[in-house]
Amino acid sequence: MPMVPKRLKPYAMIAPALAVFSLFYLYPIGYMIHLSFHEWNFISPEKTYVGLGNYREMLTDDVFLQVLRNSALYTVMTVLLATGTALPLALWLNRKSGFHAFVQGAIFSPHIISLVSVSLLWSWLMDPEYGLLNGLLHWFGIGPLKWLNDPGTALLSLVIVAVWKNLGYNTIVFIAGLQSIPPELLEAAALDRSKPWTTFRRIILPMLSPTLFFLVIINLIGSFQVFETIAIMTQGGPVHSTNTLVYYIYEYGFRYFKIGHASAAGVILLVIVGTLTLGYFRLLSRRVHYYG
Amino acid sequence: MIRKGTFMLVAACLAAALAACGGGGGGEGGEDASAAEAKNAGGAGTGSGRGDKIVIRYWYAFGGKIEEAKRELVRRFNESQDRIEVIAEHQGNYEDLHAKVQAAFAAGNAPAVTDLEIASTGLFARSGMLTELTPYADRDAEELKLEDFHPGLMGNAYVDGKLYGLPFMRSTPILYKNVTMLKEAGLDPEGPRTWQELEQYARALKERGKYAMTLPIDIWFYEALVFQSGGRILSEDGRKALFNSPEGVEPVAFWKRLAEEGLIKIPIGDEAGAAADKDWANQISALRFASTANVSAAIEIAEGNGFELATSFMPANRQYGVPTGGCQLVITSKLSDEEKEAAWEFLKFMTTTESTIFQHRHVGYLPTRLSALETDELQAHFERYPQYKVAFEQLAYAQPRPMENAYPEITMLIRNAIEKAILDPDVTPQEAMDEAAAKADKLLAK
Repeated sequence: MPMVPKRLKPYAMIAPALAVFSLFYLYPIGYMIHLSFHEWNFISPEKTYVGLGNYREMLTDDVFLQVLRNSALYTVMTVLLATGTALPLALWLNRKSGFHAFVQGAIFSPHIISLVSVSLLWSWLMDPEYGLLNGLLHWFGIGPLKWLNDPGTALLSLVIVAVWKNLGYNTIVFIAGLQSIPPELLEAAALDRSKPWTTFRRIILPMLSPTLFFLVIINLIGSFQVFETIAIMTQGGPVHSTNTLVYYIYEYGFRYFKIGHASAAGVILLVIVGTLTLGYFRLLSRRVHYYG
Repeated sequence: MIRKGTFMLVAACLAAALAACGGGGGGEGGEDASAAEAKNAGGAGTGSGRGDKIVIRYWYAFGGKIEEAKRELVRRFNESQDRIEVIAEHQGNYEDLHAKVQAAFAAGNAPAVTDLEIASTGLFARSGMLTELTPYADRDAEELKLEDFHPGLMGNAYVDGKLYGLPFMRSTPILYKNVTMLKEAGLDPEGPRTWQELEQYARALKERGKYAMTLPIDIWFYEALVFQSGGRILSEDGRKALFNSPEGVEPVAFWKRLAEEGLIKIPIGDEAGAAADKDWANQISALRFASTANVSAAIEIAEGNGFELATSFMPANRQYGVPTGGCQLVITSKLSDEEKEAAWEFLKFMTTTESTIFQHRHVGYLPTRLSALETDELQAHFERYPQYKVAFEQLAYAQPRPMENAYPEITMLIRNAIEKAILDPDVTPQEAMDEAAAKADKLLAK
């Protein structure tokens, strides 16, 4: 490209990507922030400017505060359980045998099923009257549990579904991480007669930290954005016990037609996810070890 | 040699297949192309179809028997004349449909005609999304016979005194009874006519290990019980919540008491309605509240499971009372005059006496016109299946649903308050409803 001065060349190169990014990410985000200061029902020609009214209304509403609590609780539980159980599973499955390959495939299979099917399947499993889970628990003399029908257990039931769905993916990524650890490090440790726990603590975990970091971020963002299971299994109920941010946004936007209110909640979601991501990058980047 | 033969065979098959394709294309290609063209024209929202045929789109809700009836009526309309072509498109349930219409309207791509759940008429009309029908109805008064529609169904057709919709697939909730179970428990299958009787029936059924009713917390049923107690959900001018009045709290207290005594079962959550249907079908519960739109399906279930089915009014408290429900047909507003005329033609056709008889018999929704009742066809039908008749008679006690813009959000407040009152032993019905009413007042004051 002889016409373009050398200094501008890189910008010309990224221009197409930047244009797409601006059009489909920056512009909608800007528009959402704009809408969050207005009252609008999507159709009427004029938007009423209300300043911070939507935010004030939301932050003084005990339902919204419960929604924030639910989101936080759901995310923390899902991330802890989904990565916490995937790591030991990965350590166990990280060997070559037909059996282990089969188990790997089996626990990965939920990942490829559509979330809508998963939701319907689990609604059925968790049915308090006819569900398979209560049938099984009955054998052990437990229950019957009300699962999604009890404000006390509904959110936890959704966490179980999310963990079941994400576990396989997390495990596979952990296994990939384990296999990329240079074998000479482990051999050296074995020669030094390092105890298994010490090897894990001093070599495997640090070498695995980029993978762990990646998974925590992915799971965290994904959990904060949970929608399908809630829309299908509980619709935020009973008594708001499973109402989370994205579902709340949907409800206000498309059921009550309050776009300003929904946009304000969207801005808050953006701030939360953005802060978490930035925070984790800064905090963990110092403690994450990259090899080589 | 064999391989060459196989190859020839495969080649011959392929050639035959291709030829068939080509032939088919020749025969049907013309039709396909014109259908696609029609679709495109409709898709642009400015249905200036091919030639002089006007193409408009109609969006509808629900599948099953309801969808069958709607598609059949559209087919009949398209065959009845050659100026207008209606393309019918399925859009999920009422909530999905409303959200899609709204988004499409904002994008300048709305269908000309859509189903509209009656309680949303206010929001849509006041936002300027709908064409006012009063001038059309006045002009075609002779043909339309507006006064022939059952007056109980017209309450939600008007917003601020202007006509916006024509009653289409309309319903009321009714009581479905398993007569076999009632007789076995020594109960009069003509009842229960009142809340008190309902409670007595429930005690008798409980002794036999059955429930009187599996009852999902549904805003529609709650509205019915409030009307039966002589109350209102919102004030006449729509500025104030009245559901925390004694008449509004009484239904919640009634349900809570019955549930605590194990006389009725209250399933919670999204699947609650399905759970209630299952319990009734499996004869765990003898009674069930449901829309009259379920009559055809319920008759099939009763026959399949070998029990006798009757329907009746919902039991009265101080009086009988039900909300109406279902959808009406409306015309959106961003259309050319030509398209509006076409849409109006379609609306008139869909709501004729003949059309309403057809949809009533096929699905169970109300016959919307008084003249339909006088036809021999419906009289004979009622004779054979009296279950269909109840909803129409109950219309005498029907009231319109609230149509305030904030009502969708208020229904959420009410539902959560009822759930809270029933699930939490420390919360009284009065407290729960007061809290919801305070929030509702704030929304209504805007």
